[in-house]
Amino acid sequence: MAARGRCPECGSAALVEDALYAQQQLVCASCGCVLAEGLLTTTYTEEEHLREVAYSQSTGQKEQLSRCLQRGIRRVQDLCKVLQLPTAFEETAVSYFQRALQLPAFHLVSLEKKELLGGCCVFITCRQHNWPLTMGTVCSLLYAKQELFAGVFLSLQRELGLSVPTLSLADLVKTHLSSFQLFQPSANIPAPFLEDKDKLVARTMGIVELASEAWLVTGRHPVPVVTAAAFLAWQSLQPRARLSFPLARFCRLAGVDLPPPAHLRLKELLEILLGMASRLAWLRGLRLDKKTVVKHVGDLLQHRVFLLRKAFCHEEGEQQWDGALDKGSTGQGSPGQGSPSCSLVAQKKDCPLAGKHQREGPLRPLLPPCLIHPRKRLRPTAPSASDSALTGDEPISDSEIEQYLRSPEEIRAFRKAKAWS
Amino acid sequence: FKDDFSTGPHLFTPMNPYDVGLPIQTTKDVYSAQCHQPKEFHTDFSSVDLSFLPDVTQDNKDQSLPADGHEMQKELDGSVLRNEDSGVFVDESSFSYSEAPQPPFETSGESSPVTPMTPITPVSSASESSGIVPQLQNIVATVNLACKLDLKNIALHARNAEYNPKRFAAVIMRIREPRTTALIFSSGKMVCTGAKSEEQSRLAARKYARVVQKLGFPAKFLDFKIQNMVGSCDVRFPIRLEGLVLMHQQFSSYEPELFPGLIYRMVKPRIVLLIFVSGKVVLTGAKDRSEIYEAFENIYPILKGFKKPS
Repeated sequence: MAARGRCPECGSAALVEDALYAQQQLVCASCGCVLAEGLLTTTYTEEEHLREVAYSQSTGQKEQLSRCLQRGIRRVQDLCKVLQLPTAFEETAVSYFQRALQLPAFHLVSLEKKELLGGCCVFITCRQHNWPLTMGTVCSLLYAKQELFAGVFLSLQRELGLSVPTLSLADLVKTHLSSFQLFQPSANIPAPFLEDKDKLVARTMGIVELASEAWLVTGRHPVPVVTAAAFLAWQSLQPRARLSFPLARFCRLAGVDLPPPAHLRLKELLEILLGMASRLAWLRGLRLDKKTVVKHVGDLLQHRVFLLRKAFCHEEGEQQWDGALDKGSTGQGSPGQGSPSCSLVAQKKDCPLAGKHQREGPLRPLLPPCLIHPRKRLRPTAPSASDSALTGDEPISDSEIEQYLRSPEEIRAFRKAKAWS
Repeated sequence: FKDDFSTGPHLFTPMNPYDVGLPIQTTKDVYSAQCHQPKEFHTDFSSVDLSFLPDVTQDNKDQSLPADGHEMQKELDGSVLRNEDSGVFVDESSFSYSEAPQPPFETSGESSPVTPMTPITPVSSASESSGIVPQLQNIVATVNLACKLDLKNIALHARNAEYNPKRFAAVIMRIREPRTTALIFSSGKMVCTGAKSEEQSRLAARKYARVVQKLGFPAKFLDFKIQNMVGSCDVRFPIRLEGLVLMHQQFSSYEPELFPGLIYRMVKPRIVLLIFVSGKVVLTGAKDRSEIYEAFENIYPILKGFKKPS
């Protein structure tokens, strides 16, 4: 009954809560002045009597969705618009998001993660429709750390039980190249550097397929491979003008970021191409190096199936490749196990040109680079006999334990040194 | 990888009637698909269905039985004999076959060829085992010292301890032999990591408990339990991860943008394998050594299927 405040008109403290037409009112008992209506309500919805009721509220649409969910859905829709995705993608992504947010795993995560969750839903939708969207792109759009994105992506995939097909490299080539600014004449692109889009795409695809056959793509980030392949393709289409152009400048010209691994991928690609060139009849006489082989990429790609088979030793690969083949020693460097044809080829290839050109020497096997250049690491030895006799219940000597305890002098010194003790 | 496994479909293992003691009927379906076995023959002699025989009444017993029944009986015996010759031993309720089981029954007159069955043999003997044994690299175990501990005290009195309460609420202690690390919490619970075998892990945990005892706490050694075992090995040939993820999509996760290896979540046994392009395989999530070995024997034939023969 008693309420706070005084009546503004007569100053009396006798305020009474009264209901007029089922609406609460705070009325002064002495002068009858109405101080407030609906002041003493306790529920949010009743206070809305003072405001206009919006359509979405009266139909209860938004009431069912929490603010967090609404914000998240808006974010997902914005992302889809920015990426120019079809509307079907938007609906799928929103439904994933709604499902995910209800799960206990995602209900109470930080706001940052909830934003990432929206991005993950969009990413998964794109991948399911084979729309080549990379994680890097989504992360940059959301200003997110990739590790955090990775964690949210993996847990989302697990919680919702979604199957996410692998990123198709062919589609990625097309979309990545369309972001290159080499196809339209513009102020900062001189004429010799312009290129026809279809030709560039076709040749880049060829190089990417070659890389994939040669184990350069498995386990590696896809975008640097595509960048390096695009660079090689672009150079090879007009070698005279473009050979002297470095990769970094090319990316700047095209208006694209240069991912750090692209240099390594380029090196590996060139090595593969050089190996193949040594098997092509009309190129064998020429002494090609990393620069000059680019001129012949077209030919090499045309015959790549044949050349890959001839240029590289295809054994069962039962043993580790120790990378000692570049010495050019015939027969000796070739791996012991495996096809005899390999060592025969090695012996037949008596290198007429001394020294440098080991391409005619023993063939290097077609293996992933991590097997060709293994990082030397001491393998821990297998458990010895004495270890295997361990039971776990051996007696433990006191002296052994005492070596781990501090002596009293040490403790005193330590106590003095440290503030806490 | 301490997560739950989604209830995905079982890893496909060939039906193995040996250890499941299946009633004959289920395997019979396979057989009938293979060799068009007449339905009235049951492979269980104790409930042989002789409905094909004419009704044996006292009247025609003398007449028909010698004629039909006897023949049938003979053939039944004959086929039984043939069965026994072929090494099919029929028990009350279970079967045990030799390596190449032959059709259990042959109908009269019909000489069905001895068609080798689809070998329903356990995985390990269907193909020879890989000959590669995964090596254990790390074992994580927990033990309860069953007394409250004063971590500051421990950090002060022990040489091999580090304690940074602002960063982590436990003392990190290390011993040299076996080379391991332990996290000791004030509740008295301890986690011991880094050992390369179960016995080493137990010995190391006991040593840590001894250190704590020597520091003046009434530490016990209760509930020693190995929580996780990690093993690794090398199949010695490169693996096409893109192909593997296509074939085993429900179990594999291959995201080169995130991690260079393929994450394979095997359902039976419940182990997570990290498979790399170089052929190296890491197995984790095991509570027992046999799970690691079993998981590797399961994955090896799958990986061999991806070896490029060319």
